[in-house]
Amino acid sequence: MTTSEAVEVMVKAMAPYIGDTMARSATEAHCQRLGIAATMSRDQLEALLGKLGGGLNIFLGRDKAASVVAEVRAALAALEAPR
Amino acid sequence: MSGKRSRGALPWAVLGLAVLLFLGWAAAPAGALYARLLPPSRLLMIAALVKLVYLLAGSAFAFACRDRLEADNPARPAWLLLSQGVLSMFAGQLCLAPFQVVNGETPFPSVADMFFVLAYPFLIASFLVFLNAYREAGFPIGSLAERVGIVAGVGAVGVLVALPLLRPVAATGGTLLERILNVAYPVLDLVLLLPLALLLRIALRLRGSHAGDVWAILLGGFFVLSVADVIFAHFQALGAAHLDPLVHASFILAYGLIAGGAHRQLQLLES
Repeated sequence: MTTSEAVEVMVKAMAPYIGDTMARSATEAHCQRLGIAATMSRDQLEALLGKLGGGLNIFLGRDKAASVVAEVRAALAALEAPR
Repeated sequence: MSGKRSRGALPWAVLGLAVLLFLGWAAAPAGALYARLLPPSRLLMIAALVKLVYLLAGSAFAFACRDRLEADNPARPAWLLLSQGVLSMFAGQLCLAPFQVVNGETPFPSVADMFFVLAYPFLIASFLVFLNAYREAGFPIGSLAERVGIVAGVGAVGVLVALPLLRPVAATGGTLLERILNVAYPVLDLVLLLPLALLLRIALRLRGSHAGDVWAILLGGFFVLSVADVIFAHFQALGAAHLDPLVHASFILAYGLIAGGAHRQLQLLES
């Protein structure tokens, strides 16, 4: 899975809560800080989801943030499944 | 679904009607409604009670937001500070209410001003804690230079706008305490606007989302509060009695928006 595909999935899941612009800029900023390039490893993906969950936590609380991250995971898994 | 939506719209309709009532008083003070049914003393009583309700609701909703966030959530202390700031304004309004309801007058200065002034450090601290929480969570809040630029720009524009508005207020007669308070409220609002400008930058990036709604409503409330304080200063210091309805309309709108923003955040946390 490419980083841009993953970012799109993440932005789509987070946009209703924090807006498309903030979701995209936060995700891209975290990718940059984590040194994520065109593709990301499983560890990098987990680190990125951890960062995004921590950010969502501020607006949504832990439970809701966790459910959004779970939604992202499910969407990413669907994306990774053999097409 | 539509029932839920209409229940959600009801408080906004009530706020709109309350504001319209006082705008109507400003527009047609001699109209039949205001001359026969709602004389100024009754309108003052209504305004006092509506303000109390919104301030208490705002404080309670903000505290409930704090309560629903985990102990280590960096936004939790910000909601607590916001709750305390609004509670301080409620205490101030509570001090005024007996005079307004029973005697139909608003004493100024009074012990209420102590609580109104006390609200500002809580509110300013709340916004700074929100900003820090967003920064720590990795949300792009701008580089240091950008933030300094925004604060300096808003500060400069604020001073340029406030100076001509406050000069006549400061130059009026009245006791020293009256003059200090009349100038202090808009100046404190200006200080409040500095972190709010930084939060506005974040709010613009949140637009079109649940969190964006929260901040749009909250920031709107605090902006209207600043306007209300300037109108109040002119009403109080310059004896501009025709501004009285606008004073009430703007404070009711400000308090209603603050309560509405905190309630929207609570809904988001409870969803």
